[in-house]
Amino acid sequence: MKITVNGETKDAPAGQTLSGLLTTTGVEDPAAVSVQHNGEFVDATQFGTVPLRDGDTVEFLYFLGGGR
Amino acid sequence: MTGFLTKAIHGPNPLGDPHGTLRAPVYDNVAFGFENAADMQSAFQGHRALHSYSRISNPTVADFETRVAHLAGARGALAVASGMAAISNTILTLAEAGSNIVTTHWLFGNTISLFEQTLGPWGLSVRYADFSNPASVAAAIDDKTRAVFFETVTNPQLEVADAESISAVAHARSVPLVADGTATTPYLFLSKDYGVDIEVISSTKYISGGATAIGGVIIDNGAFDWRRHPKLQATAKRFGPNAFLMALRREVYRNLGACMAPHTAFLHALGLETLPLRVDKSCANTLVLAQWLQRRPEVRGVNYPGLETSPWHETAKQQFASRYGGILTFDLADKEQCFALLDAFRLIARATNIHDNKTLAIHPASTLFCDYTDEERAKMGVSNATIRLSVGCEDAADLVADFDQAFSSIEVGR
Repeated sequence: MKITVNGETKDAPAGQTLSGLLTTTGVEDPAAVSVQHNGEFVDATQFGTVPLRDGDTVEFLYFLGGGR
Repeated sequence: MTGFLTKAIHGPNPLGDPHGTLRAPVYDNVAFGFENAADMQSAFQGHRALHSYSRISNPTVADFETRVAHLAGARGALAVASGMAAISNTILTLAEAGSNIVTTHWLFGNTISLFEQTLGPWGLSVRYADFSNPASVAAAIDDKTRAVFFETVTNPQLEVADAESISAVAHARSVPLVADGTATTPYLFLSKDYGVDIEVISSTKYISGGATAIGGVIIDNGAFDWRRHPKLQATAKRFGPNAFLMALRREVYRNLGACMAPHTAFLHALGLETLPLRVDKSCANTLVLAQWLQRRPEVRGVNYPGLETSPWHETAKQQFASRYGGILTFDLADKEQCFALLDAFRLIARATNIHDNKTLAIHPASTLFCDYTDEERAKMGVSNATIRLSVGCEDAADLVADFDQAFSSIEVGR
């Protein structure tokens, strides 16, 4: 399936969760990012249970704005 | 690692330094380079945790911020150039023209000046309430209120508000509670346990240890639902519980430019390690002096939350775990006698500032509150006959001896 991650279109395996996406995208510290799924904030405790679907958009930002 | 002192000394050690240093080095630089343009773009967009420019973030400052957040058990912390910068950045993040904040007349003079003289012309209103009476605070809140603001120990009145009760009335109206915890720090008062949402601290004071540099810190305890805050609703939709920190870091803090210098962050992180030791000694010394001053015939009154005569003793005892801070005030007959005593000190320094390792004395009415009229000072609880003492970490016997010789060398109030 095709999803848009931080403005870039990417291929993702069917059934992938947000948690899996953060891992394959190389996010260094998933606990330190704010994630929006289709424009809505997703709490970190839900990363492993939110399934991605074809056409979804995902944005993630380090909430300390660079550096920890 | 559960003890406050252990956590203060070891910290979460987030740097991952390649040399294994046990202390974060001073990255005293402005800009950070990138391997390629894509990395640079990712850093600017917040997609990677990379530093780009020290006004926005810096590894040494980030180490200090992380240590503070760790000690406070908070969602996040942000270090700034001073305690006043912590207050101004916080209020500018929470409030807008046409809105108001609810606070007390019993505030640090510069804080009142910030609210009324600096931010007033930009459209902020200030509504005053009696923070010893939660109903008074509740009555002052309206649908334009963006924050309730108080000091954990007011200076120089030394009032200790019941934070949990104030928090309850603020939260009932979906308003965040902001506490200036300079006089307590997370060691004496773990603000998140008492319903405080945002804590601002002048790290110049207790945290610095030895008054080495000016700095401040803003702590988001992480409990407030920012979807209920009119100014941050839209940000909360995107960033959830990180809304305040996001709005602060990526807009207000970035644009105001009142960042903490890396060398200051190094000094304040160093101070943080010994904070509990210094606070304990300072509190113990202050109680000794308060009790000693109560017995002096020249002294008309002593105000210290650690004394049972203080109307705020029980609240302070409960909130601060039977430690009462390092500030006391006492009254002599008049201003002239205050000046005579100040001039007679040999060890105690005549200086402003609080929570230095050294004991400092000042006459607040003629200095910190000199911009105000007698009537305004009376409303602020600032008397012409009062001396404020910020008690340091010296041997208590030496402080008592300095008072003793000072009283003996002048004719005070007899």
